[in-house]
Formats: sequence, structure tokens, C-alpha cells
Amino acid sequence: MSGVVEPDLSVTVGPLALENPVLTASGTFGYGLEFEPFLKLDELAGFVTKGLSPRPREGNPPPRIVETPAGMLNTIGLQNIGVDAFIRDKLPRLREYDTAVIANVFGETEAEYVEVCSKLDQAEGVAAIELNVSCPNTEQGGMIFGNDAAALHAVTAACRKASRLPLIVKLSPNVTDIRVTARAAVEGGAEVLSLVNTFVGMQVDVERRRPVLKKVCGGLSGPAIRPLAVWMTWQVHEAVDVPLIGMGGISTAADALEFILAGASAVQVGTANFVHPDGSIRVLRELREWLKEHDVATLRELIGAGHSKAPA
Amino acid sequence: MPRDITTAVLANTDLGAGNWLLEFGAPEMAAGMRPAQFFMIGIPGSATILRRPYSVCGLPGTFDDRPHGTVQVLYKVVGQGTRLLASLAPGARITVLGPLGNGFNEPDDAETTPVLVAGGIGSAPFPAWISKLKDRFPPPLMFYGAAGADDLVLADWFAERTELQTATDDGSAGTHGLVTEPLSRALDRERDRKLKLYACGPEPMLQAVGKIAGERGLTCELSLEAHMACGFGVCLGCVVPVRRDGDEVGYDRVCLEGPVMDARCLAW
Ligand SMILES: Cc1cc2nc3c(=O)[nH]c(=O)nc-3n(C[C@H](O)[C@H](O)[C@H](O)COP(=O)(O)OP(=O)(O)OC[C@H]3O[C@@H](n4cnc5c(N)ncnc54)[C@H](O)[C@@H]3O)c2cc1C
Ligand SMILES: Cc1cc2nc3c(=O)[nH]c(=O)nc-3n(C[C@H](O)[C@H](O)[C@H](O)COP(=O)(O)O)c2cc1C
Ligand code: FES
Repeated sequence: MSGVVEPDLSVTVGPLALENPVLTASGTFGYGLEFEPFLKLDELAGFVTKGLSPRPREGNPPPRIVETPAGMLNTIGLQNIGVDAFIRDKLPRLREYDTAVIANVFGETEAEYVEVCSKLDQAEGVAAIELNVSCPNTEQGGMIFGNDAAALHAVTAACRKASRLPLIVKLSPNVTDIRVTARAAVEGGAEVLSLVNTFVGMQVDVERRRPVLKKVCGGLSGPAIRPLAVWMTWQVHEAVDVPLIGMGGISTAADALEFILAGASAVQVGTANFVHPDGSIRVLRELREWLKEHDVATLRELIGAGHSKAPA
Repeated sequence: MPRDITTAVLANTDLGAGNWLLEFGAPEMAAGMRPAQFFMIGIPGSATILRRPYSVCGLPGTFDDRPHGTVQVLYKVVGQGTRLLASLAPGARITVLGPLGNGFNEPDDAETTPVLVAGGIGSAPFPAWISKLKDRFPPPLMFYGAAGADDLVLADWFAERTELQTATDDGSAGTHGLVTEPLSRALDRERDRKLKLYACGPEPMLQAVGKIAGERGLTCELSLEAHMACGFGVCLGCVVPVRRDGDEVGYDRVCLEGPVMDARCLAW
């Protein structure tokens, strides 16, 4: 038995070399520093920041969240401190840690995306940019960038030019065929795709006879979306050649491995960070144990292995 | 600094009308905890995934018959999460994150009389608070309202320690009507005394108490409720509108900047 040997968890995700495949998802991990009381940031391969816009945003009126069966809906409304405050107040502290800081970026227009990307390009300590394209384009009647292949291609290409940093495009699941938008993002210049963002949904308060959330609909996350997200990862793996980062309801090693076997090179832990602040580290430790128990020397051999035609 | 622990239920007592008192051991957490701070409590392996916020009701020393190092949570069954909590027997495992939030602030001087306003399950943070204020400030004036007499589960405890007036919606105990009526009458009567208000309860009650205090130029701390996912400041789900410098309206997090907020800062 080789059970004593420490398994190799390192992965390369396009231009990113990561010590292990566990990242945390945008909007569920603040700006990282909030987690200092609960875990060692160095233990994480990296994390994704809350979505950053050119200027600070106050977000939507409450109620903003509600629990649903095996998940939750949120309409935070992309509240954030703005890219300038992030670079000025958060990055210097984050540079002290040995963890990949991935900046999540969004805008209401293509120009806003470009503005944030070029500011991050000039900053020190950002490992990659992840574009959140699940946002309405105010110049195109509120159409969601990520739900339209042409708009997605254009915004990706514009951001590709605006910075030298590795570019991840985070796909919206609210589309008819995610392979179409996946290809558009890759053709636009995405080096990595992450998937998925939240699914649009709503809950009605039957007693009040009104929507629970003030903004009516919100984004569904948590274990409820995992089978949908794994299937999308599987399909996109077959459709494009760039590496994938999978997410949607991951809270255990087995959950993470579903995405990895379906074709993801790394994963992000989201809602599970709310359940336990060290939820991401729990996934990482379990993953290491799982590999030992199953005599797997390198995690890399599992990436996409679920697609093999050989008998299991 | 908050901790995330797994601990066993020591007692879970039915107080009637859907009100329960949960007890668990958390000596280290309790040591630095302030009244009106709260816990996020989860039930591992249950049908709910997010933890629920509950105020600390009893800290060591609050209820003198309770075992050393234990804390108490008073809760009301209102939905799935609280129903699951009520089903737990002693020995059941719960996960507890705390202490969270800011807590009540003491009056500025020893002559100020604390005025406490509790609506229903909003009575939960007051036992720990009354114990902390005891002997250092004049005995509190307390106004305790609920739907009916059955819901005034702490009335006897409060009556021994405060100048208590109760009110019920159905008139089954105390004044028939809103707790804010005896409150405003008393505040008008006590004009010569230095007073500071503390309130916890449903939002309409808090709004009314804030208004009553504001009209009389009294400082008023409100302990707010909000839907929460994380409880420690990262999901941004629990916000309330507040007035910032220059009257601009923004959002503060109930779990981090609150749950206790100065009534004058709220923009609702
Ligand atoms: C700081 C703070 C302290 C609290 N202290 C106490 C206490 O000491 N005792 C007590 O009984 N209750 C307290 N509450 C309210 C308590 O958290 C809710 O009653 C509880 O979350 C309801 O959960 P449920 O699953 O039974 O209800 P459901 O209605 O089924 O819950 C659905 C969702 O709504 C949220 N929710 C529903 N009502 C409330 C509410 N009033 N406040 C916050 N979230 C809500 C739940 O967290 C959950 O996400 C407190 C709330 C806050 C914010
Ligand atoms: C409260 C909350 C806020 C979020 N904010 C963002 C955001 O700012 N940008 C973004 O790209 N995704 C955001 N997401 C989506 C998550 O990053 C993730 O894609 C999604 O929640 C699915 O993963 P999970 O099921 O593990 O949570 C948010 C999710 C939640 C629950
Ligand atoms: S509950 Fe998550 S920020 Fe307050």
C-alpha cells in the first residue's frame, strides 16, 4: 500500500499553477481577510473576491436572501467597495499571503469591464481575473452579457486586451445550451472557464402572498444546483479545449470530485463557506484523505477521467 | 473572536405556546460574550443547511440555577429551522458560531435609568442584559408586549428585577394593545430622569420605539433582526438601510455593524 505517501494535489489551470484544486467562489468569501479568524489563507490554493465594479455599489434593498430546499436564493445586487478601494485597502494585506488572489470583475457596460480590468492589470498581487458575465448590459436594454454569445464574445475580447493577467470567464447557467456561450468566451480570448454562476429563481411567501425577496427573483446556489452544474461541466469539457473550474453546491470531497471527474481542473466552494467559515478547508482536507484512501498519487489523473470509455 | 464549535444540547425545555429554552455548554464563548450578541446555530445532517441566528439569553450568572459554563437561548418556533431545533433532545449535536455582532452599550453614567422594551421573542436578549446592569444602574423600567399571556414567558423573571409593565394584543394580560402605549405614557411621566432605551422585537415595534425616543431626544439602541446566511459579515444578505454622514443612505450589515443599532442612524 502506498497509503503513507502524501498525494500530489497540485494542478495547472491554464496559466495558473495551483498547489491544490480548492478555491472559494466570488461573493461567498468577501475580500478574503474576513476569514482570517477562521482559517489560514495560505492553506487555500486561492480565492475569488467579491465582484468588483469601477465604483462602489450599495446593492439591492432587503430582504436579499432566503433559504430554499438544499440551497438559497440571493439578490445582493453586487454590493462592493469598488476596484480602487480593493487595490488600496485590501491588496496590500493580501500580498502577505501565499494564496492566489483572483479578482472577480463586472460592469454595466463593456467600458466598465475594461476599466476594472486595466486597473487590476496595474496592481500588484492579483493572480488572475474572473469575469462575472451574469450582469445586465445597460446599453443593450438590460440583456445579460453572459446569456448572449455575441455580447459575451465582445466583452471577453475587450477585457483580454485590457490586461495581461490570466483571464477566466465565469459562465451563466441561465442559457439554452451552455456549449454555445462556452465556445464564444473561448473564441473571445478566455484562457479558463469557470462554471456555474447562480440559477435564476424565486420563492413566494404564501402567507403574505408576495415574493419573499424584495427584488422578486434571485440567484439559486447550494447543493440543490449541483447535478445541474456537474452536467454543464461535463458538456463544456467535451465542447472546448481550455481548462475548467467547476462549482455549484460543493461542500464535501465527493462533491468536488464529481466536478473533477466531469472535467474540471479546479473547483470553487461557495455557499458552504456560510455554513462553516472553514468549509473550503474542510473540502481540501477531505480531498487529501480521499486520495490517500483510494491510493491515488496525483489528483491530476482524475481530471475528466469520468469521460473514459474504459470499464470503471 | 468568534469560534465555530460542535457541542451537545444539555437541555431543551418547552415553555409553552411554542417558546423554548435551549441550553448548551460553551464556557470559552460565553467568557467574552456581551448581551445582545448572538450565535448562529446549526443542526448537522438536518434538512436545513444555513444556520439560524439566536441572541444569547442567559450567560453564566444570569439564571443562578443553571450549571456553570452553560448558556441559554430563548426561541420561538416559527418555521422549519426553529421546529427542528425544538425536536432536539439532550445529547443531540449542534454547531454554534459565536459570539457574533456588537451587543448593547451601557448607559454613559450611573444615574441613567435603562428603559427596556421587549416584543414577544424579542425578550430573549434581556435576561443577560438585566444581569449585567444589576446594581450598577438604577433598576430598569421594562415594557414587555406579546400576542397573548402565554407568550409572556419571562414575565415573572422580569417582574422580580425590573419595574415591569406588560401589554398583550388580545388583552389576556397587562394593557390591552401595543407595548408602545404604556411606554410613551411612562416616558412622559419620567421627564426629570435620565433615561436610555433598549428595544428588541418585531420591526414595526422597533420603528415605533425609535420614533418615540427620537421625539423625546432620548438615546435608543435597537437590536434588529434580518435574514442571515453567514452571520459573520461576508454574504451581505442581512443589510438594513442606514443614514451615513451627509444624510446619504447606505446599507449596514445587521450581523456585523449590528444587531444593535442607534435608532437615529436607521433609514427605514
Ligand atoms: C441577531 C438575531 C437574533 C435573533 N435572536 C432570536 C432569539 O433569541 N430567539 C428567536 O426565537 N429568534 C431569534 N431571531 C430570529 C430567528 O433567527 C428566526 O426566527 C429564525 O431564523 C427562523 O427560522 P425558521 O427556519 O424557523 O423560519 P423560516 O421562516 O422557515 O425561515 C426561513 C428563512 O428566513 C429566515 N428568517 C425567518 N424569520 C426570521 C427572522 N425573524 N429573523 C431572521 N431571519 C429570519 C431564516 O433564517 C431562514 O433563512 C434572531 C434573529 C436575528 C437576526
Ligand atoms: C450571496 C452570494 C453572492 C454572490 N456574489 C457573486 C458575485 O459577486 N460574483 C459572482 O461571479 N458570483 C457570485 N455568486 C455566485 C457564486 O460565486 C457561485 O457561482 C454560486 O453560488 C454557485 O456555487 P455554490 O453553490 O457553491 O454557492 C454569489 C453567490 C452567493 C450565494
Ligand atoms: S449574515 Fe452574512 S453578511 Fe450578515
